[in-house]
Parts: sequence; structure tokens; C-alpha cells
Amino acid sequence: MMKYSGYKGKVLAINLTTKKTSSIEITDEFARKYLGGNGFAVRYIFDMVDPRMDAFDATNVVAMMTGPFQGINSPTAGKYYMATKSPLTNGYFDSVSGGFIGAQIKYAGYDGFLITGKADKPTYLFVEDGKVEFRPAEKLWGRLTGETQEMIKEEVGDPNLCVSAIGPAGENLVRYACVITEYRAAGRGGVGAVLGSKKLKAVAVRGSGTNEVADPEAYEAWMQWYKEEAKKVPGLAVGLPTYGTPALVASIGKMLGAMGSYNHKTEFFQNWENISGERLKKEFWDKDTACPACPIACSKVFSAKSGKWKGAISEGPEYETIYSLGSMCGIDDLGAIIKGDSLCDEWGMDTVSYGVAVSFIMEAYEKQLITRENTDGVEFKFGNDDAMIAYIEKTAKREGIGNLIAEGSLRAARVIGGGSERFAIQVKGLEIPGHSARALRGMALGYSTATRGGSHHDPRPTGEYAGASDRKAVEGKAAWVIGTQQMTTIGDSLVNCHFLERLLGFTLTQKWVDMINPVTGFGYTLEELTTVAERILDLERSFNVRTGIRRKDDTLPRRFLEEPIPEGPSQGMHTDEPTLNRMLDEFYAIKGWDPKTGVPTKEKLIRMGLEDVADRLAKEGISC
Amino acid sequence: MSVVVAQEKKPLIRFDIKKCAFCKICELSCSKYHYKKFGDSISRITIIRKGPLMFKCHICTRCEKRFCITACPTKALSYKGGNIVVDPKLCNSCGDCVKACPFHGIRLHPETKLPLICDLCDGDPSCVKDCPKGALSLVWLPEVRK
Repeated sequence: MMKYSGYKGKVLAINLTTKKTSSIEITDEFARKYLGGNGFAVRYIFDMVDPRMDAFDATNVVAMMTGPFQGINSPTAGKYYMATKSPLTNGYFDSVSGGFIGAQIKYAGYDGFLITGKADKPTYLFVEDGKVEFRPAEKLWGRLTGETQEMIKEEVGDPNLCVSAIGPAGENLVRYACVITEYRAAGRGGVGAVLGSKKLKAVAVRGSGTNEVADPEAYEAWMQWYKEEAKKVPGLAVGLPTYGTPALVASIGKMLGAMGSYNHKTEFFQNWENISGERLKKEFWDKDTACPACPIACSKVFSAKSGKWKGAISEGPEYETIYSLGSMCGIDDLGAIIKGDSLCDEWGMDTVSYGVAVSFIMEAYEKQLITRENTDGVEFKFGNDDAMIAYIEKTAKREGIGNLIAEGSLRAARVIGGGSERFAIQVKGLEIPGHSARALRGMALGYSTATRGGSHHDPRPTGEYAGASDRKAVEGKAAWVIGTQQMTTIGDSLVNCHFLERLLGFTLTQKWVDMINPVTGFGYTLEELTTVAERILDLERSFNVRTGIRRKDDTLPRRFLEEPIPEGPSQGMHTDEPTLNRMLDEFYAIKGWDPKTGVPTKEKLIRMGLEDVADRLAKEGISC
Repeated sequence: MSVVVAQEKKPLIRFDIKKCAFCKICELSCSKYHYKKFGDSISRITIIRKGPLMFKCHICTRCEKRFCITACPTKALSYKGGNIVVDPKLCNSCGDCVKACPFHGIRLHPETKLPLICDLCDGDPSCVKDCPKGALSLVWLPEVRK
């Protein structure tokens, strides 16, 4: 029995090659040091995975983790956490998704799974109350994510069963294939492709256990505090419940002129009104949906009631998808975006990377770096919604130029050549989402330094939108970015939604501590919690430096460094190379990373209680 | 043919499919109220999703036919004060009531193996109270007796 609450005290290691499982104990000390989700996963992956191995090697590990907050009714914690060495970035990569399966992992008696090896034929895992079955999945192979989940529910005879599945994109190793649970995605970085390489089609979990909190009275008091305070935060009380994330189209696209369009040739989308959240709500809305235990219900089911794509229905699109499949591809028909959103989910791929990779191909086509001969005769012009839709399936099947799109924009640029890498909108291989690296200084530094590369979840743009940090300022930006990265890391360890930032703080605050202590019983101080975050981030960085990543990789696409935003409210803005370097110097200095290489210093690692990591880096000759 | 012979009222937890967001807060509120723990396997209400728009609520409806009472071989179930009541001394945990309920409103507690049936939380149902979308409401309908 553990002293602390929110944990089951064990993680299950599952080897698909040998079909054997073993249990790894979670000690109180380990839980306090690494918290859960993100922290647990990065410690195990650092210890178990050789970073120089290919992501599709059998030795790669996929962590499916929970934190102390899964399975209780804490708002925004209806999630689960996945991590692996990414086939897109080659670095440590995590992806968080909504889904009751996180709670079910707890109810089944585990804090998470570590999946390794390679099955000899298609398999799915059925975990129930401490029992694990390796079930045949030949008849599921090639199926879409929706029908896969339904068939497994049918086979088990439980319509309430939680299933996380990959689609054909994952099977065919599309580098940004995702994992789908119900209608939500662990979307980014290709976790689904790594599962595909392991021939693991799905994981189904149910448990008859429970989860409890350390101090029920203090927890109840916090819940009451949340209910009252959330009412006062417009985003949580009105914006997200009413429109969901598409509300951002008006604020980012119109007001700020910072919504990447036409592969970031501009960031002001003239037809923003056609793809706005207001229009979605008015003409396409069917109902609100929520991640488990979340009262915000920011998810929406939308369908096209008329027009060319009449009948298209999806839970979503989110703002990021409206950006990637919409403004980036020059498409202003919400019906097409809804259709594309549902097809990406069904075939099992990340909407952001797919849309941004397609917009890259469209610009290459416009610049005549590729021609109709390369595109199977398709006019790959901006605005061609038929091409954007048709190539979802072709990408999942790696047919024609879909085979190139499946590799992501960076690898596609290297094949196409002709200087196209300049406008491949990615960092470290990960396509950049709809939060401008040119209009928000923090995102310029944040994308450059994030473990994952082009991800808006480390750091967060919200504080700069809200004016908590001046979006144009260079001074003090490194400290701000580090603060938001610490916050998201704790969020991903709990595992909680980052939307809590509006209530608890864009960086770690006492309010975050006050939420965590009643559940776990840690009695953390803000200082200790900040150290936990830094420890996790340093571990991520240490994994990445062992793959060869250094300061030179902490950068942005040339387009962002050299071309200011050409028009609109943010006209003229961008971060040039000298400015980025200035911020990077400051960033590494605060982090305690070597300013020349970006490698965490021995002193810093020891200070974080990571002596073994310092030793490992020294042994491999990469420490400073 | 049914004939109304008494004007008693019977309770019903009414489910509004249009408002439900599939957050399952009701399930966790139910388990917390009854057991001070969180878990859907000990909840007396279950929300099922089939497709993007099709949600179902499984809970005791206090149906006229009382399929569960008829099915119980040990007479452990009875209808009192608007609720199906379990006598733990008589119940043999056979699960016949679970199978008999066409509304999927009964499950067995995973440990005690006794039937879990909505009891309205002493008249103020926590699922109704905690639903953030107002999708659940407690209504009183005329009791119909044969």
C-alpha cells in the first residue's frame, strides 16, 4: 500500500514479442519525484529506450500512462497520456487525449502500461482487473478507428468498454499517425505509427476498482472553489462551453491577424468569417460533448446541413484543424473541414501535421517544384478541397504523392529539394499548429526549445493572447517561456487539461499546488513542484541530446526567421535570428543548460536529483 | 389494459439526450455519494454512447412491470416508497434481476455482488445535482397500477 493517494502502485510492462507481462512497483518516493503521466513515462523511456534506435525498432516503448487525477471527478482530468520516441521528430514525444480509458486503467489496478516488442501478427490488448489478454486482430487490421472500436466492444460484449485504437495510417507507419479513443485523439507525433510498427491495433481496458483522494474534505472544498472561480473566467464559463476552441478563429485570425494561411505566406485569412466559431455554432452545431468528468464540454459535434459536403459529421473540428485543413490550405468551406476532420480521425492521423504537410505540397506545386506528373494529375492548388479530402485516404495508404505527405513536411522537403525546406512549417520535424511564431515572441522561443518541437502545448500561447506577457517583448521572455513549460509539464503529469491555466495560472502558482495536495497528500510546496517540473523537462532534454539534438536544432523555419508577416494587424512582426539567439542565451542560462550546446549541465542534473542521468551523459561523452 | 387505481406519484430520473455531453460526471457522483469512492462499476447510472449523437442513459425507470421483482427467485426485491429495495439477507447474487431489466438499470456490486439500483440518494439525486448540462432531472409521474 502506498502512503500517497491517486496511485495504484504499479505499472504493467507488456512485451508483445514474448507475450509476457511484468509488474513494476511505483514507490512513494518515485511518485513524489515524478508525479505521474509525463514524469513516469519519461523516466521509464529514458531508462528503457536506446535513443539512437529507429522509432520503429521493436525495442521502442510506448507508454500509456495516468496520473493521480484519473478516475476521480476532478474537472478536466478525464484524460490519458501516451509517450514514445517519435518517428516524426526522433525525440521524446508525448501526446495527451481525452478519454475514459485513463480512469479505466486506474480501475483495472494500474497507473499505466509500458508496451514494447513487436507482435508477429495483428493483436489487440484486453486488460481487465489485472488480467491481460493478447487477442488476435487480423479481422480488425485495415479497419477505420470507429469500426475497430465498435467491433471490439461487440466482441467483448460491453457497449461501455473503453478502446484506444489506431487506423490504417498507423498500420502503414504514417509518421504522424494518431491514437483514437471514442472521438478524441492522442493526435501528434506518430504514437499511432509506433503502435502500428508493433502490430498493436488497439488497447481495451475495463476495471471494477475505484480511485480515491487523500483528503476528501479538502478535495471537496477545492471542487467548490473551482465551481465558483470558473464562473468568473470568461474562457471557461462562456467561450469554450459555447463555441469550443473554434472561438479562436475570430480572436487570432481576425483581431490579431496571426492565423497561418496559405502555408504561412500570410497570417491574415481574408475569409476568416467563413470558418469562424460563430458560423460553426450557428449553422453546423449539433451538440456539446465533453471529456470525462469535465463540466466545460468544449467539444462539439458539427455537421454540414447543406452545400457541397452536406452530411459530413464530426466531433470537432477544433481550432487547430480549422487552421491546418482550412486557412493553411486556403480552404474556407467548413463542410470540407468537417469532412476532413472526421476522415483524419477515421483513418487515424493527426489533422495538424496532415493539413500543414498538404499546404506545404500546395506551395511546392505553386512554385513548380513539383508538377502534375508528381501528383497523379491532381491540381494541388491552394483552395482545392477535393484534393485535401481525397489525399487523407491516399496518405493513410501511402498511395502516389500520399506516400510523401505521410512522411511529414520536413522529410517531404528533403525529397523535393529546391530550397523548399525554407517553407516547411515545422520544428524538429513536427508541423507547427495555429499559434503564430511570428506574432507571439514566446511561441518563437517556445517552439524552438520545446522537447516536441512545433507544439502549442509546450509552451502555451494563452498567456500572451491574454496579455499576461507582452507578445512583442524580448526582455524576460525566456523566464516566461520556461514558466509555461513547467506548467504544461505538471499538467501532463497529473494528467490534466491545460485549459486550467486560465484559472490556476499560466505558470506554476500556489493554486496549482493547492489543487494537487488534497488529491495526493504530498504536501508539496511551490518550490518542490517547480523542481519536479524541471526534473521532468531535463530528463526529456537529456533523452533528446542523446539522439543528437543540440542548440543548432533549437530554431524555426527560415521563413519565420527571415520574412515578417506581410499584412494585417500583426504586419511586420517576426523574430529574426539574432533576436532568437539572444532569447536562447537567456533561456539556457536560466535552465542551467550549456549555452554552446544546449545540453543540461552536470550541476543542474545533480541539483534535480538526476545523478544517474549526469553519469550516463558523461559516459557517452556528451556532458559538459 | 391498465387502469389507474391510485393517484400516487412515482419518481423518474429523466434524461435529455440533447443536453447530455457524455461527461459521465453522473456516474462518479453516484459512486461518491454511495461509497465515498470514484468508479463507474459501482454507479447506479450509466451513460452509453453509440455514434456521434446517440447517447443512452441506463438507470432504474421504476417501470410498471417490475421485471426485476418478478425475476428474483428469492424474493429479495420489493418496491417501497418509489424505489426497488434489496434485502441483502435474502439476495443470493444470482444476477437474474440484472438480466431481466430491459432498461439495463441494474448491475451487481463487484465486491458484495448485491444488485445496485438507483435509490434517489434519499430524495435528492446526486447525479441530477451534479450534471453540469442539466441533462438529468427528477420528475414525479402518476403511478399506474393494474
